[in-house]
Amino acid sequence: MTFAALLTKELRLRLRRERSIWVIIIYLLVMGLLGFLFLSRQNGYGGDVLSQVGGQLYILLSVVQLVLTMFITPAFTSTSINGEKERQTYDLLLCSRLSAFSLVAGKLIAGLANALLLIFASIPLFSLVFFFGGVSPQDFIKTMLVFVVTAIVAGSFGLFCSTLLNRPTVSTVIAYMFCVIWAALPWLLTLLLALTFSFGGQQTVPLLFIWNPIIALVSTFPGGGGVGTLSIAHHSITPWRTYSVLSLIATVVLFVLSMWFVKPNPVGRLRSLRKRFTLQKQSTVTA
Amino acid sequence: MIKIEHVNKRYRTVQALQDFSLEIPRGSIYGLIGPNGAGKTTLLRILAALISPTSGKVWFDDEEVSTVPSLIQRKVGYMPDFFGVYPDLTTVEYLEFYAGIHGIPYQKHARTVNDLLELVDLSSKRDELVETLSRGMKQRLCLARALVHDPEVLLLDEPASGLDPRARVELRELVRTLQGMGKTIIISSHILLEMAEMCSDIAIIQNGRLVVSGDVEQVTSRISGGRQLEIRVLERGADTVAALKNMTAISNIITSEENENLIQADFSGDDRTLHYVLAELIKQDIPVVSFAPRSSGGLLEEVFMSVTEGSSPS
Repeated sequence: MTFAALLTKELRLRLRRERSIWVIIIYLLVMGLLGFLFLSRQNGYGGDVLSQVGGQLYILLSVVQLVLTMFITPAFTSTSINGEKERQTYDLLLCSRLSAFSLVAGKLIAGLANALLLIFASIPLFSLVFFFGGVSPQDFIKTMLVFVVTAIVAGSFGLFCSTLLNRPTVSTVIAYMFCVIWAALPWLLTLLLALTFSFGGQQTVPLLFIWNPIIALVSTFPGGGGVGTLSIAHHSITPWRTYSVLSLIATVVLFVLSMWFVKPNPVGRLRSLRKRFTLQKQSTVTA
Repeated sequence: MIKIEHVNKRYRTVQALQDFSLEIPRGSIYGLIGPNGAGKTTLLRILAALISPTSGKVWFDDEEVSTVPSLIQRKVGYMPDFFGVYPDLTTVEYLEFYAGIHGIPYQKHARTVNDLLELVDLSSKRDELVETLSRGMKQRLCLARALVHDPEVLLLDEPASGLDPRARVELRELVRTLQGMGKTIIISSHILLEMAEMCSDIAIIQNGRLVVSGDVEQVTSRISGGRQLEIRVLERGADTVAALKNMTAISNIITSEENENLIQADFSGDDRTLHYVLAELIKQDIPVVSFAPRSSGGLLEEVFMSVTEGSSPS
């Protein structure tokens, strides 16, 4: 009941803002415009070329969608908790019967609802691809899964930052930095460590890319995107699968941490928990 | 009854409350008075279970707060010294949200919200956005929010701060109505006159310590050494002073330099003795125009200034 009340309030507030509708309009305009520019540069639409055009359009739209998802989702959650503190409504939430779980879940779901709305609103644009062919519905479902999983991780990290840091600006910047590092770090390390890895060959993906959204996305493209597979314990696993599992684990960890930090005095509570645990251990030993 | 036992609260280098003990009777309007940084808000936040005391205990009836944390959420309604509103919600949506997070069943929301809006006289503003309400209306809405789960105890931190005189009077009436409903109300305020008129009991706090507490009349008479009388006579000011000098309950008689017919004096005794003083003056045919103990608000200010060594009230 408390969770439903919080979620209703959050959705009301978010969707009532004029900004929300502008975000959807601009998001779809950017994607639609890029798709239109791409198609207008094509010279012919016949035979095998048609499916190639479809495949290329699909890759373009997917990459743009991933980048937009990674850079819009944190904005929906990174001020959720510290925004309440700034608005001076946080104490009032603490005085209620709202549990840490309900508070974090309500805020996360409301933030993700906005991000998922953008992803689902883009589906009609993606349907253009099926007009040209070259992409199967299974590929499309895998790609959508990567978008959703990416939004969940970016949203969870944003929410975690908002429970940890008091200033909304700082938490938003940190959440964005995480997204950049998340996407770019394996590539930078590949360059620095002079590892050889390129698209196109049937090769093993370095473990550095085990949790990389770009590689995960590319691996959902028709024909596996030419990135190869990850080799884990002598098993070949496609990157989008490991990415989804690791993202699920990361989300759970971030959710639990957010639940701990959302209530006041997290350090003091940790100390008293440790103290209680030590006393319990001592009494067990004495017994 | 709320019992605060030897509570200490320390924020890093600042000792906010020191060995603070207080008993707050059920059904009272208890005023917390003190200069800036005295520890009033800290005390209210401890009572609202928003912070834990460094040491000491708080009891609500026979239950110790730290052992039953959900007790506070059930029994206490807290109104901080800031509005804490969501400007994009309507008045009804705002109260419905708080009803929901206080665990009130959905079926009861409409009735609860309607009753509360009627109580705080905001029924006509039910569909208005919270941001369009005046300061006084927002304050009343916040009071309604604190009452949404029908708590036994209300904690009001500076409720009249920034309100115009009309809104203050309305708030005072509302607080009295709530007391009539059997609620215990704890208020911190810097408007001493209002505290004296509204509260049944007061506690003066300074540097985190309790200086004095108890019934308003008792506290003022204990500190100021008794009540003060202000007597205005039509004529025969000197005779009045002479008559008062013969009365044991009267001391420290002062006559105004500009007007010898305006006399102030300290009075010790109960209402029966007060009646005797007036009757004696009438018997001596002194034309008494006004005969009144000075307002407890004025006295409270004197008491406050004397016990807080001249610190300005917050």
